[in-house]
Amino acid sequence: MATFVLQRLSQALFVLLAAALASFVLLRYVGDPVNNMVGQAASLADREAMRHALGLDQPVILQFAQLLRDVATGDLGVSYRFGIPVSKLLMERLPATLELSVCAMLIATLLGVPLGVWTALHRHSVVSHIVLAASLIGVALPTFLIGIILILVFSVWLGWLPSFGRGTTVALGHSWTTGLLTVSGLKALVLPSLTLGLFQMTLIMRLVRAEMLEVLRTDYIKFARARGLPEATINYDHALRNTLIPVITVIGLQFGNIFAFSIVVETVFQWPGLGLLVIQSIQFADVPLLASYLVLIAMGFALINLAVDLLYVAIDPRVRADTMLARTAS
Amino acid sequence: MSLQATTQRGAPRWWEGDLVHDFIRSPLALVAAASTLLIVAAAMGAGLIAPYDSNDPASANVIDARLPPGSSGMTGNYYLLGTDPQGRDMLSAILFGTRMSLMVGASSVLLAALIGIVLGLVCGYFRGLLDAVIMRIADVQLSFPAILIALLIDGITRTVVDRATHDRLAIPVLVVAIAASFWVQYARTVRGLVLVERGKEYVLAAMVTGVSPLRIIASHIRPNVMGSVLVIATINLALAILTEATLSFVGVGVPPTQPSLGSLVRIGNEFLFSGDWWISIGPGAMLVALCLSVNLLADWLRDALNPRLSNG
Amino acid sequence: MADPVLSVRNLRIEIATRRGTLLAVDDASFEIAEGEVLGVVGESGAGKSITGGAIIGLLEPPLRHVGGEIRLAGRRIDDLAAEPMRLLRGRHIGAVFQDPLTSLNPLMTVGRQLMQTMSAHLDLSPREARTRAARLLAEVGLPAAQERLDSYPHELSGGMRQRVVLALAFCCEPQLIIADEPTTALDVSVQAQVIEVLRRMCRERGTAVMLITHDMGVIAEIADRIAVMYGGRIVEIGRAEAILHAPAHPYTRGLMACIPSMHRRYRDLPQIEGSMPRLDAIPSGCAFHPRCPSRLPRCDRERPVLAPAGATQSACWLTAACDQMQDIVAAAGHA
Repeated sequence: MATFVLQRLSQALFVLLAAALASFVLLRYVGDPVNNMVGQAASLADREAMRHALGLDQPVILQFAQLLRDVATGDLGVSYRFGIPVSKLLMERLPATLELSVCAMLIATLLGVPLGVWTALHRHSVVSHIVLAASLIGVALPTFLIGIILILVFSVWLGWLPSFGRGTTVALGHSWTTGLLTVSGLKALVLPSLTLGLFQMTLIMRLVRAEMLEVLRTDYIKFARARGLPEATINYDHALRNTLIPVITVIGLQFGNIFAFSIVVETVFQWPGLGLLVIQSIQFADVPLLASYLVLIAMGFALINLAVDLLYVAIDPRVRADTMLARTAS
Repeated sequence: MSLQATTQRGAPRWWEGDLVHDFIRSPLALVAAASTLLIVAAAMGAGLIAPYDSNDPASANVIDARLPPGSSGMTGNYYLLGTDPQGRDMLSAILFGTRMSLMVGASSVLLAALIGIVLGLVCGYFRGLLDAVIMRIADVQLSFPAILIALLIDGITRTVVDRATHDRLAIPVLVVAIAASFWVQYARTVRGLVLVERGKEYVLAAMVTGVSPLRIIASHIRPNVMGSVLVIATINLALAILTEATLSFVGVGVPPTQPSLGSLVRIGNEFLFSGDWWISIGPGAMLVALCLSVNLLADWLRDALNPRLSNG
Repeated sequence: MADPVLSVRNLRIEIATRRGTLLAVDDASFEIAEGEVLGVVGESGAGKSITGGAIIGLLEPPLRHVGGEIRLAGRRIDDLAAEPMRLLRGRHIGAVFQDPLTSLNPLMTVGRQLMQTMSAHLDLSPREARTRAARLLAEVGLPAAQERLDSYPHELSGGMRQRVVLALAFCCEPQLIIADEPTTALDVSVQAQVIEVLRRMCRERGTAVMLITHDMGVIAEIADRIAVMYGGRIVEIGRAEAILHAPAHPYTRGLMACIPSMHRRYRDLPQIEGSMPRLDAIPSGCAFHPRCPSRLPRCDRERPVLAPAGATQSACWLTAACDQMQDIVAAAGHA
């Protein structure tokens, strides 16, 4: 068990290092960092001073080590565009994106799983076919279009919900701002999280359905029927459990997808989160911001993957046995 | 397939036999294929059939700006799908935009397939350190969503080169960015197939008798691989088109001078509140129609080729 | 005389295929008495498993029961609705399937699967169920039965898993067990043990068993009577010793001759020429006639019925009594 965790951790570390390296290359070699800091009109002496201050006269390896040290202590440089420390910017925007992503994930899971189970158990009903057809369209709809259609219907034509911004937010502690505690905040959350979650929901629904149909065809389900177990027990005790195990891990990994698509949704709804920040940093060539974002998401994904792997070990007894076997063997 | 035919040619051709038969029998496949062809034909022939040339600034009449679909402008022109904020005909814009979307999408799929197939063949055939390293990179990359990878590559390129160069290079960079996020699937599938084929006796025999690896790959392994690749490619096409649309919508895709469906939607986004819905919904609907048809076709193709793949 | 535990009369089962309907089981009739083991043998595709599936009520489309009747202890069961049939399954008819690896839910402990089955049919408290489950596991020969209740299937060997499957089949004390190739997926060394467990538990409870297999060795070990199936039909049926040592039907003779003996020297291993016909190409008249070394001219036109032939019943025109049997059957209409 311990070796398994260590193995996964080392993998995560590898990814982080790779991202840090990419960041470093960006920061160091893209444009001229000195230029960006001192501007065009600086004298040669000033440039030399800046060069020294930035540590650019050190050997490359040491510079990379410095970068790693900086990242570890949370110093991510200063944004070219805003002039504020990057870490501050990121922390400001993180709550918005996280709240949006978690909401979307909840919608996707709480709707997707039951729908998937239902369409698998009632695969020949008309409703099932309609839902499946709708899901086909759902997969062909880009996220931003869903957002636009929702805005059109609910903001422009019906006027029920706002189409941009977060509404009124409440500050919690030092760094967190939440929109969940105000009515306008909640209203502002509806359309964006629906947009973000809808695509994932169709994905999860189709996955659950396919997995459940697969499970219902297995020998152990056939044997359970042969033992005269009631249909409800077979469906919800046996089949569901075996379906959800692989599905849970996929859902965990999908969180990464949600995070990626939040960039699009934030653009559509002008949601003040990390995604919008990244787009702006790309448009303005704000390298420190972009580089830090790279490291941040690498860390995020590595963590998500690690969590999912651990979750899988915890819930599937076969995998637990394998990892323990591996340990005794080694 | 008769035994004789099989032994004569070395490997059965995947397009013969039941595939065509299945196709004609399935109404959904026919409809999907027909609509895909229609859209592709209309898009590629945009220069010929579009009522107005979108790329010609003279065709944009600002007095006719933001007219709803089906209206005639002050210039006397008829606009079937309305006009955009600059007075350009939406129908023409959509046709040209579809062409751009298709071209970027198809190119990136082709590039991804090329990279993936070559890497897959190399890894599967030669194994060793190269295989280990490439597959490791593939594994790591798979944990990142495609759109993020494409966004980052495009974004990084933007910061590295100045604006003017970037506008010139925008489309190739976009194609490379999207391809870079999709190659893994091809590489893995091809590698798996190669590993299977490699173990088969006729390949072992060829290797032992000193046939060059290139020949072995080309004549023995490649035909069996093509079927799977085709399935992946068609499934990927819709995804590539959607990815390009998303990137363009967000502003890091095609340059503004050569709009694709995604950037058209972006333009229309600002006018939602004034009620001019057709500027986004028009291109959006075309996007959905295109992706839906391609997806249906891909689904059918996958199901039809599947039993053959396990036999072949 | 008491009703036989299982009575199957003129069973017909069809398969609907793209090329039309085919007969998977054609006019099969047999009985199993209390405590008796009937071995049903035949090559793959002869219809043995489908017959078993029909008895337990688990035929799925495209298979369809279209004729004949199945009675359990005198009561007709083939026309039952889904819910009454479900109550029979597990409680009065137990089943054992071929692959112990896939028969058990990998994510549920062995004890849970046992207790769940018993709770579905019997009125037991959880503690009673647990005790009973442990007792069953001990009875099938699993060491440390109490701890085994909390084991997952993948923690057990193949033989142990099949014993668990046996425990599951017997847990509600059914009157009949359908065992479909119970030892085929096991190592030879383990097969004998599992068969021994099956035999012991049946003898102790007086359970009737329909043992479906193509392994003649297993049949010889445990069967009281044997039915031989070919092309969806029963071609010979009788007491085990008679079938094994004095078979009347040419197919059975061929089968028995195929079993290599330790005591003979062979130049070539004996075989039956040809192979069993596919369901869409069943020969006219007697299904075996193209491969039969003792073929008569009438064999390709007229289909023989089961008739007494020495110590067994054989469906073959070589049997003297076959003509008479056919007249009787014709006179009675299609019973």
